[in-house]
Amino acid sequence: MNTLKLKHLSAAWPLIAATALLMPLAASAQQPKLVTPQQAKPTLSPCYAQNLTDRMLCGSIRRPLDAAAPSQDAGIDIHFAVLPAINPLHQQEAVVAFAGGPGQSAFDAAATFAHILRYARESRDILLVDQRGTGKSGLLQCDGLDLTSQFALDENSVDITKMTRKETELCRDKLQVDLNHYTTVAAAGDFEAVRLALGYQKLHLYGGSYGTRMAQEYMRQYPSAVLTATLDGVVPFNQSFGAMGAASDASLEAVYAYCDASPECQQQFPAARAQLQQLQQTLTAQTINTKVRHPRTFELIELNLTRAKLQQALRFALYRNSTRAMLPLVVDQASTGDYSALTGLMLAQDIAADLSVGVNFAVVCGEDRPFWTAQSQAEFAQSYLGQSWLQGAETSCNVWQVTPVAADYTAPLQTDTPVLLLSGGLDPVTPPGWAELAMAKMRNARHLVAPHATHIVASQTCAPKLISQFINQQSTAELDERCLQQELRQAFLTNANGTAMPPTALAASPTSTTIGAEE
Amino acid sequence: MMTIFRTLFRKELLDASRDKRSVMAGLYYAVGTPLLMCLLFSVLLKQLSSSDELLISIDNANAAPALVHYLANKDIRQGEGAEVKAIRLVVSTDFQQQLQQGRPATVIIDADRADDQLQTAIRRLERELGRYNSEIATLRLMARGIDPQLMQPIDVQMQDQATPDSRGGTFLGIASLSIILTLFYAAMNLAIDTSAGERERNSLTLLLSQPLSSLQLVLAKIAAIACFSMLGLVVILLVSKFTYGMVPWQQLGFNISLDADFMLFTLLVGLPLALLSASLQVMVSFVAKSFKEAQTYVTMVLLVPVALSMVTTYNIAPDHLQWLPIAAQQQAMIGFLKGSAIAMPQLLVSSLLTLAIFAACSYASSRLLKSEKVVFGL
Repeated sequence: MNTLKLKHLSAAWPLIAATALLMPLAASAQQPKLVTPQQAKPTLSPCYAQNLTDRMLCGSIRRPLDAAAPSQDAGIDIHFAVLPAINPLHQQEAVVAFAGGPGQSAFDAAATFAHILRYARESRDILLVDQRGTGKSGLLQCDGLDLTSQFALDENSVDITKMTRKETELCRDKLQVDLNHYTTVAAAGDFEAVRLALGYQKLHLYGGSYGTRMAQEYMRQYPSAVLTATLDGVVPFNQSFGAMGAASDASLEAVYAYCDASPECQQQFPAARAQLQQLQQTLTAQTINTKVRHPRTFELIELNLTRAKLQQALRFALYRNSTRAMLPLVVDQASTGDYSALTGLMLAQDIAADLSVGVNFAVVCGEDRPFWTAQSQAEFAQSYLGQSWLQGAETSCNVWQVTPVAADYTAPLQTDTPVLLLSGGLDPVTPPGWAELAMAKMRNARHLVAPHATHIVASQTCAPKLISQFINQQSTAELDERCLQQELRQAFLTNANGTAMPPTALAASPTSTTIGAEE
Repeated sequence: MMTIFRTLFRKELLDASRDKRSVMAGLYYAVGTPLLMCLLFSVLLKQLSSSDELLISIDNANAAPALVHYLANKDIRQGEGAEVKAIRLVVSTDFQQQLQQGRPATVIIDADRADDQLQTAIRRLERELGRYNSEIATLRLMARGIDPQLMQPIDVQMQDQATPDSRGGTFLGIASLSIILTLFYAAMNLAIDTSAGERERNSLTLLLSQPLSSLQLVLAKIAAIACFSMLGLVVILLVSKFTYGMVPWQQLGFNISLDADFMLFTLLVGLPLALLSASLQVMVSFVAKSFKEAQTYVTMVLLVPVALSMVTTYNIAPDHLQWLPIAAQQQAMIGFLKGSAIAMPQLLVSSLLTLAIFAACSYASSRLLKSEKVVFGL
């Protein structure tokens, strides 16, 4: 059940408007301080996170809301947690994990980070900092629709733009915050303040999804504090979230290419692609009004099935190899008027609940939208998701009115710090090409691709070992990436009970070759 | 008075240090035990940590390729040769059919649960099969439009108060046991030599003919022996700190580190024990008629501290045993290492008891020396 939760979490990572999730910085409790912090050392008290049995030490520091005018009264408590090293051989260092979203809480994802950084933790503390506006550090959240209302909403018959604007205005009036203080650029200083307060001399960074961008910004502002950086599911400065739509489409295409190559899938769903296209066309033209069972209460509820809902369900299904294996079955059943499997996929939308709306829009409106061009917008609009994201972001940003960050924000990070970039070949949000963009000016970087992994490679592969080795050696030279090649795709479900037959492609997969090689 | 004692004490120290073989024999224990433990622990850790590949044999693997592939991704593979553990996973022939029909599909784990070397591997296999189960079950529910979380009416969250330093369990017990026993083994040869040995060399009568009380004589001997015990303690602490630091405990999720505070603490609680050890062994040696007999008796008497230490190590001591010498001191040492609260009443009572036994043994020895039977070994 733990695994289940973990997976859900990683699936939740890349929610909402933008990309992925990231975690916070590190700090340690027991060590002597070499750096004299400006303020008193924060008090640490034992605390626990969801699905993580290990005891952590939690604390907070007070930070000015506006770094440019620190004398003002407005402040914010930045909360952090330290997962102590098993054997603190490197007390002056910590591994900071940056969560995704934008807007995810690092503390909420503690179990995932503890899993990803379990080898790194053998000798170094893991530091989780809730980025300002997320989790315990003043979460900026607004209520969304509950599941029943979501299902009943007919996007085709309402003015979505008007609705988005109204909801955003409600949210703005409720939160009453200046989002200018919640951008990536503004938040980086908090991580540095936590580092100083806890007395760490140097940090190793691990960022996942949007967290990679936070990590890059931290490196840009505080280059001397960083020993290594691992970027997993990379979001470059010079890439708009709008390009996610194309990434999602490519990832979906890979599912169908795999189905084509699998005799079982071919046999069971000979017209898989055509079925999907047909369903998309039907839903573009009209809403299907039907009744389904509520996934939890089992009551009959109304479902207004639209193209928007279908695309959203597909999008989230692409995050995990297990749900990817359901897609041909789901589409096949939906084509014949049975929407229960599709309802199951739509559950993933519930996961976005704890994401910080404020931070999400601070980043999108302050750091992404200012750099849209007519050309890039036309490009994004080519995919259904890109198009709807553009519209939503445009409408919301007009309400939030975030000041654009400086124009040089989109310049790729220049650094000599060793950087390890990880990408999943099937990633529906941050494809390998994005990592290539990010590393253009990195002089000591290595990019490893796990061909069959989806978003967040370290939660699916042997990468945790590689990350630990990288941190210990502070060099990517000796990393053996062969284990990332493992086949992670699963056999397609041929009925609602699953399948015991693997696609034939599996028969010649690394599984059998590995067995041979072991001997 | 003090001058006589000091002279005697110096004489005993000189005597003891001249007998290099006896001294070295005691120190061998102090140096050798941690080294041996370090080796033993490293081997044990290798067996316990299961992060590496697990090779088993899988019968009828073709009937469940997806399952076999899932296990392979978790580094559990079909293998051949010496590396393969004696665990056989048997996939039933109708596996796929059962699965497709939504009926339980049987796999059999064929292994010997009593085989300690297999336990970790079996548990790991069971755990992964359980995860596969829940993964398939999750997909089945989703394919029916049901939230898989319905399968989990209660969300059990464990909040473990243990820290990496406190998870060492039995390892901490064994480490502290080896340290405490130094006080006894380092003293053994010297205690016999200075009593039974001195008697056989006929120098005991010479000493007794001097103008000093037999109690003074006994105390001087005990003090000298205790000095060497404490030396042994210092040595084993230093060697342990070094060697235990090299064992990769963190692979098992815990840590054993002996810091300076712990060493000071151990020297403090060890001092009364050193006195007890010396006085007890001197007394037993005097009771024995000859050197060889003394060796036998002392070895037998040493079984008592070993037993007390063992029950503490394996946590099988009834509550009242925790008030006894050795058990209480060792408990305190373990508590110190774990960073948990030390049971001060027990420690104080047992330390007082320790000193009382030391006093009793010393007095008994001095009484023994008043008997000609003892002095001449008749």
